[in-house]
Amino acid sequence: MESEANKTKTNDKQELRYRMVEHYQEYVLLNGKEPPSIFSFCKDLGINEAEFYDHFNDFSQVAGAFWTKSFSSIKKMLTEDTEFGSFSVREKYLSFYYAFFEEIKKNRSYALLSFKESSNLLKREARHLMELKKDFKAWSKELIAEGMSNEEIASRTKISDAYDNLFWMQFIFLINFWIKDGSKAFEKTDIAIEKSVHFGFDLIERNALDSAFDFGKFLFQNR
Amino acid sequence: MKEQDKIPTSRLSRTGSFIKTGAKVGGNYLKYYSKKLVGEGSEEELHNDNATDIYDSLSKLKGGALKVAQMMSMDEGILPQAFSQKFTQAQYSAPPLSYPLVVKTFRSQLGKSPGEIFESFTKSAVAAASIGQVHEGIKEGSKYAVKVQYPGVADSISSDLKIIRPIVSSMFKISSAELDYYLEEIEERLIEETDYELELKRSEEISAACAHIPGIVFPKYYEEFSGQRILTMDWMDGKHLNEFMETNPSQEVRNRIGQSLWDFYDYQIHEMKRVHADPHPGNFLFRADGTMAVIDFGCIKEFSDAFYENYFRLIEPNIAREGERFEKLLFELNFLLKDDSPEEVKHFAKIYSEMHQLLCVPFFSEEFDFASDDYFSEIYSMSERVSKDKTLRKAKAARGPRDSIYLTRTYFGLYSLLHKLGAKIKTPSAVHELFA
Repeated sequence: MESEANKTKTNDKQELRYRMVEHYQEYVLLNGKEPPSIFSFCKDLGINEAEFYDHFNDFSQVAGAFWTKSFSSIKKMLTEDTEFGSFSVREKYLSFYYAFFEEIKKNRSYALLSFKESSNLLKREARHLMELKKDFKAWSKELIAEGMSNEEIASRTKISDAYDNLFWMQFIFLINFWIKDGSKAFEKTDIAIEKSVHFGFDLIERNALDSAFDFGKFLFQNR
Repeated sequence: MKEQDKIPTSRLSRTGSFIKTGAKVGGNYLKYYSKKLVGEGSEEELHNDNATDIYDSLSKLKGGALKVAQMMSMDEGILPQAFSQKFTQAQYSAPPLSYPLVVKTFRSQLGKSPGEIFESFTKSAVAAASIGQVHEGIKEGSKYAVKVQYPGVADSISSDLKIIRPIVSSMFKISSAELDYYLEEIEERLIEETDYELELKRSEEISAACAHIPGIVFPKYYEEFSGQRILTMDWMDGKHLNEFMETNPSQEVRNRIGQSLWDFYDYQIHEMKRVHADPHPGNFLFRADGTMAVIDFGCIKEFSDAFYENYFRLIEPNIAREGERFEKLLFELNFLLKDDSPEEVKHFAKIYSEMHQLLCVPFFSEEFDFASDDYFSEIYSMSERVSKDKTLRKAKAARGPRDSIYLTRTYFGLYSLLHKLGAKIKTPSAVHELFA
């Protein structure tokens, strides 16, 4: 009985969280800005402020829920896809980006609004993306490890530890590109994905740089 | 196919690669002239150097620029031979799309992934087309060819053409007025070519209308697996022209294919007044049994009865002797312009009469041997002579009807295919009905 009660409790909690995210998005879409205060936001929902803080610290975290939710649903969709497992890491990133931008397209006006405030994404001010960053980087680490084990990605001391950051920068670049993209069916974003992923992988796969370094090391050791 | 690592993307960087080419080409001229001063260096060598440099930068582009390169390679009347050989390679050198993007295109166009439609589907492209790539799909034991278009091609056409204009104009000594006249028509055709739904419709119409011509086969098209950027058709067996020629087909087989080609084009131009205007070797597959498959209907040129009649009147036997009537026709067709002086009128009329008489020799022979080099070197020397003609070069205005661009291209393409095939064929033509 007790566990049954616990279950409903977590269900209730999750439902409230869901309601808060929904309401926040609707408010922003209708008013073009955030609710004036957490107090007024809670009043609209008929909950008290304490309940809000059980879930979030501030609005930027509520706003971030849209991105993390989109991310996790795409990740789930891809991992369940049988074909995806057989892809190279390069193809996995490509598939992820294509699916992700297809998914957030459904809520484009909300996505645009959420960036109205922080016009320059590359500055680290996009606080609502902090959670997404954490999730994305964790997943990237897995993919990078996979890429190194099948030698798709060159393992380079010190440098390769930062690859997850590079992928995050690429992701941010693509989001930025998509936000500004005015082309039909966002075809330009498709091209940007294609080219930036190829470029990225050409840099981190074993290439002339590694041979140059290797050769340099040899010369140094055999002076 | 190795995925190309660096493709110039922005307009700026594309322009950059052209500027580099411009500089290099300039360097080649310099090399040529300095070699000439010390008494070596041939014009042929210069053309070769230039062609390599131009080709190298063109091959990094896709879409519009690549098409223009192809077109220039077809129109051997415009290009010196060395250029055209290099450009012909452009047909086979665009970098492939990644499989995830192919999947995405499928989902957005057809609502399903390739794996959901076909039992098997090649992850990488089996062939490249100028604005897309071809994959092979299998479903219920049948093989299909699936053409997937690169994203953003339609958008890039206009800007590609703008970039290429000044370079082509100085390179090939065509005044920019003349070139613009070309490019507007070319742009229209290229944009049509990016619409695969239109291509599907036209393919079906033309294959139905030409079904009676022996020796030519058309694939069936599948509307349910096609969209604006995806085109699914039957997989056709056969070899591209160069490969086919390497198998040493017998003269009889070559003649038979050549005959089908001639009949196919004659029927389209002179009966349907609507022609598959892209006879470059990549659009046909040749088979050992002397049949041939036509696999690409992206570029179709239609013309009005009025234009057709005026234009083909030009080759009516002895028309050049009826000075007044011939000149009137040339004025109507824009070959002669109101501002031309009487001397110019006389001079140009002579050039055009010679040109058309030469180009239509096959029409007036019962049988024609396209293997003969004599005829083609005559055409080359004629076009070299025309392109160096001082009076013509001084008059910078665009000449000739815009509708003839693709028609000329079609005939150049057809002749060059027949030449490469080395076919000796009967050359009846429905054009004679016009003179009856």
